[in-house]
Amino acid sequence: MSKIQEVKELVEAGKSKKIAVAVQEALDAGGQPGEILQAMVDSMSVVGDKFSAGEIFVPEMLIAAKAMSKGVDVLKPLMTGDNSASLGTCVIGTVAGDLHDIGKNLVSMMIESAGFTVVDLGVDVSAEKFVAAIKENENVTLVACSGLLTTTMPALKEAVATIKASGLTGFKVIVGGAPVTPEFAAEIGADGYAADAGSASVKAKELVK
Amino acid sequence: MNQRENFFAMLEGKKPEFIPNMMELYKICILGAERADEPIVSGRDVFGVNWIVTKEGAMPEPNNFMFEDIADWKEHVHFPDVDSLGIEEAAKIEMTDVNRDDVIVNVYSPCGLFERLAAFMGFENTLCSLVEDPDSCREFFEAFADYKIACFNRYIDTYQPDVITYLDDLATANGLFMSPAVYRSVIKPAHQRIVDAVTSRGVIFAQHTCGKCEKLMEDYVEMGVKIWSSAQIINDLEGVMEKYQGRLIVEGGWDTSGPASYIGASTEEVIAETIRCAKQYGKYGNFILMPSLLTENGNSLLVGDPRLGPMIEAWHEVDKL
Repeated sequence: MSKIQEVKELVEAGKSKKIAVAVQEALDAGGQPGEILQAMVDSMSVVGDKFSAGEIFVPEMLIAAKAMSKGVDVLKPLMTGDNSASLGTCVIGTVAGDLHDIGKNLVSMMIESAGFTVVDLGVDVSAEKFVAAIKENENVTLVACSGLLTTTMPALKEAVATIKASGLTGFKVIVGGAPVTPEFAAEIGADGYAADAGSASVKAKELVK
Repeated sequence: MNQRENFFAMLEGKKPEFIPNMMELYKICILGAERADEPIVSGRDVFGVNWIVTKEGAMPEPNNFMFEDIADWKEHVHFPDVDSLGIEEAAKIEMTDVNRDDVIVNVYSPCGLFERLAAFMGFENTLCSLVEDPDSCREFFEAFADYKIACFNRYIDTYQPDVITYLDDLATANGLFMSPAVYRSVIKPAHQRIVDAVTSRGVIFAQHTCGKCEKLMEDYVEMGVKIWSSAQIINDLEGVMEKYQGRLIVEGGWDTSGPASYIGASTEEVIAETIRCAKQYGKYGNFILMPSLLTENGNSLLVGDPRLGPMIEAWHEVDKL
């Protein structure tokens, strides 16, 4: 098995203790950092698909993301200034009045694993704070707003409306959360909707292409 | 039949006269758990976890973890002495003027095994630990089950409840957080001991699990759970009611993500949802309605809501079996 193939399999299996050595071995065997990173991104794409299909569960997805993150740590010093694989910056947060962060955190991890630089604003994020973060960060290509409660659906609507009315451009807005439907997402003017963390990374890539 | 007689008929698999509405059926007691598990106002619980209480409910402060590696739990988790919690006083307050001949006394116990570990170390760390260090998780769950059992014994001595509702949300809207195999191997053994401790004292065990958790129903029934609450419609509720008739009561049915649960839902929408629940689920004979109405001020059942009166009135027109 090639060293890069080994890296792919270790990410998919969530073997975070072994990944750093495997990535280093892949580099030592002549693999290019970009090529190894792409292999890990591809692996996470498989993990996302399996999660969306119900073949694996949240823990397996989390440990895969954790393994990828440790692998990326080895590559980072070698890739300074190389943004060729980056899909841009994603600003993410749970909307105002809502303190739930599990769904948002899972989406954040999967989106990061897909190749975005993630700026996580946390929970209870006002519409104005989303706008400020878009202004403050470079190359924002995606804004992701999460909400778990039916009571915070109006805040989701307000966040999307405020972001769209800000006059800022160059990014798409994606929404999600338990009570959110594709119809609701369309109604409030979001560019995309995803039902779970796996499909969120697929949708995110599709939106910024 | 009054509420109590009707409930026990349903529990025994006989034909009830009407479909119970949990708002009328139970005397729900929460003060014991407020002292033992999670506070009802913002602040630290008995373990030192900081909770934030909003109008939607209580949750541990996000990103403020007591520990991040499950192997360290013994250094950080100190179980309080149940004698010091004041459960006796809580029971005295809550049980004054309760007509035991009519209602069912139901003691709530939030923050079950999984939720408690997540309160200590966050959901992501907890979920990773279940597969990365299952032995330490099992050890923690067994120790926490001992604490829960001690609390439950005290509830039973002081409240003399008919039902204890144990809350542990193991699922998202899309499915279980963890695979059924991981649940069975890591959480279930301690969970089973908790169920046994309650049922061995003649108290009915109600399991509250939100989300799409139908894959655990067989486990729950086999363990001795008699009521599954907050049963949300993302599950095949009718399939569950049909399969477990006479063995499990399904409490829920309300479309918690639908228009009747939106802020500002009209009285007509609330009544329509009430009637849908009665017509769709009542016929199985093992269904209790659990409405979920929210206002800008919080849960309607706690803060009041002018829609509740017309909703109950409409319910009584369709609840006969």
